[in-house]
Amino acid sequence: MNTPSATPSTPRGPQDPAITQAKNPVAAHPITSAAIFVLVAASICCTLIVPIYAHITPKIGDWPFFYFYLLAYMPLVAIALWLATLLQRRLATPADGNAVSGSDAEVAR
Amino acid sequence: MSNVNTVVFTIVLVLFLVVTVVGFLAARWRRPPVMAHLNEWGLAGRGFGTFITWFLLGGDLYTAYTFIAVPALVFGSGSIGFFAVSYTIMAYPIAFIFLPRLWSICRVHNWVTPGDFIRGRYGSRGLALAMAFTGILALMPYIALQLVGIQSVLTVMGVNASSTNTYVKDLPLFVAFLVLAIFTYVSGLRAPAAIAFIKDTLIYVFVIVAVFYIPTRLGGWGHIFGASQAHFAAINPATKAPNGTFIPTTKSTGSTQFDFAALALGSAMALFVYPHIITGALASKGRGIIKRNMSLLPVYGVLLGLIALFGYMAVADPVTAANVKKAGNTQLAVPYLFQHMFPSWFTGIAFGGIIIGALVPAAIMAIAAANLFTRNIFKEFFKPDASPALETRMSQWASLVVKFGALVFAVELPHTFSINLQLLGGVWILQIFPMLVVGLYTRWFHRWALLTGWLAGMIYGTLAAYNVKNATTSHWAGSSDIVFGHSIYIGITAIIINTVIAVILTFVLRAARVPEGTDETLPHQYTADPKEAPAPVPAGVGAGLEG
Repeated sequence: MNTPSATPSTPRGPQDPAITQAKNPVAAHPITSAAIFVLVAASICCTLIVPIYAHITPKIGDWPFFYFYLLAYMPLVAIALWLATLLQRRLATPADGNAVSGSDAEVAR
Repeated sequence: MSNVNTVVFTIVLVLFLVVTVVGFLAARWRRPPVMAHLNEWGLAGRGFGTFITWFLLGGDLYTAYTFIAVPALVFGSGSIGFFAVSYTIMAYPIAFIFLPRLWSICRVHNWVTPGDFIRGRYGSRGLALAMAFTGILALMPYIALQLVGIQSVLTVMGVNASSTNTYVKDLPLFVAFLVLAIFTYVSGLRAPAAIAFIKDTLIYVFVIVAVFYIPTRLGGWGHIFGASQAHFAAINPATKAPNGTFIPTTKSTGSTQFDFAALALGSAMALFVYPHIITGALASKGRGIIKRNMSLLPVYGVLLGLIALFGYMAVADPVTAANVKKAGNTQLAVPYLFQHMFPSWFTGIAFGGIIIGALVPAAIMAIAAANLFTRNIFKEFFKPDASPALETRMSQWASLVVKFGALVFAVELPHTFSINLQLLGGVWILQIFPMLVVGLYTRWFHRWALLTGWLAGMIYGTLAAYNVKNATTSHWAGSSDIVFGHSIYIGITAIIINTVIAVILTFVLRAARVPEGTDETLPHQYTADPKEAPAPVPAGVGAGLEG
């Protein structure tokens, strides 16, 4: 992301080969990375897109949908971010990410 | 003080005394050999684990203003107040993305404030000064609002003396605040961290009890929602318009879905950029702790959603609604609701919880503002060779100055004014989002382009907010204005202007080969998770200072 400096007066720090040649975890685990992206993006978008839930009906018990949705969504975000944390731990290990099934279904509810 | 309920008053007083003792004893908690370092006074040793961080950040994020003002907005205007729930939902995934990077880079370099990071990243004292200035500016009215929260509880308790002199009238507030100022001075961040345990316990107890108990008194949730829907649809004889909205509308102006989303997104982006929240995050000892807390803190958000519903309960309870109307101050809605619904002893616990809930964030905010002043203004521009002990002393005194500045704000300005200053605080703090959060990912932006964009955003945001008027107020009447025929949160418009200017100027300045400054950070440091505790002395920033 850092574009090379145009002027010699702005050193970017030593180009340590250990750093630059380290395997990019996103490239190494594409499915896990995608799952994390979906979890975090869905957490944001499903509350940012207000027309999804700005309705009185269907009522859940005595609760208009709008109010029920906002309260019920909060624990789902907690679960989604918790799963994302677990998946990120997987990125740090060499195991390949094939056990992500169910995680994005969780947040799509 | 003739109409004070003795039981309520006694319980609040006892809770306050407990908190005072804990605040002073906190200086001994995880006691370091020497307290006179900013990492100790200002960040409590940077050693908090998941559990304490959860309480500290929870105590930091949800302020008495939240407990008073969000339900007050819901009581006054209806559904638009629920943007606060939407924004707390969004704030955690957004922070989940960038906060671990900020923690890592500050840990590796032993930096104390977000201004330290900006100084190191861009090699620009001016940009760090802009950050410090914005942070302090936005925090002052925010602290003042904690006082307004305490004030509204004290008003309903009846402890405000019936004198016409505002300073005599607010004497109890002054005493509470003086105690807060002294224990913050002595114990630093350890004091609010310790008190946060008491605060959160009290808040959890009274909110959960209230949510289950009050609906049974008011004929169930069906009645609460039904009465609110009818109330907000009714036409107000004074303004010839509905009292409010029960669901955000699809119109282009007013309480629209679009403005609801803009307010929520802007506030969510602003939340974890506030210096006091960053202070709370930097006090934790691990990168994983930050991430784990992003999935644990939404639990607190459920509480916020329930607290917002207190506004509808107050609408549905005729006695509370009449009391609030008589007082002419919607911020008394929650205190009046509790006073009417609960027995005295429980009202005392709830009121104590709200007051303590104001003291915790007020202390952290004062510490954050003081650290910004010391690190990025005092040390940078006045005393580059300041010793760690001098830095700490400076911060201690600055925390007192900030608090008393906020006290003047709270007492002198009309309350509608200071509430909008808080919204303005959000507009201001958003303007550092590009340099701080985008800066965690890329050095593409030129430092002077960021500074110019920041200035433009600040000026536009301040002027736009100043010009918002409604039927009763000619200035600072709200935080949304109309752009291209649509209501939108001013913070969003301002940050768009800010970013566009920064992008254009970056191209221009790079073409002109204006020096870009030295970057002290390395790519791998943004994902580092150093296990060993950092040295107690915060690192200096800028190669010139270190020699």
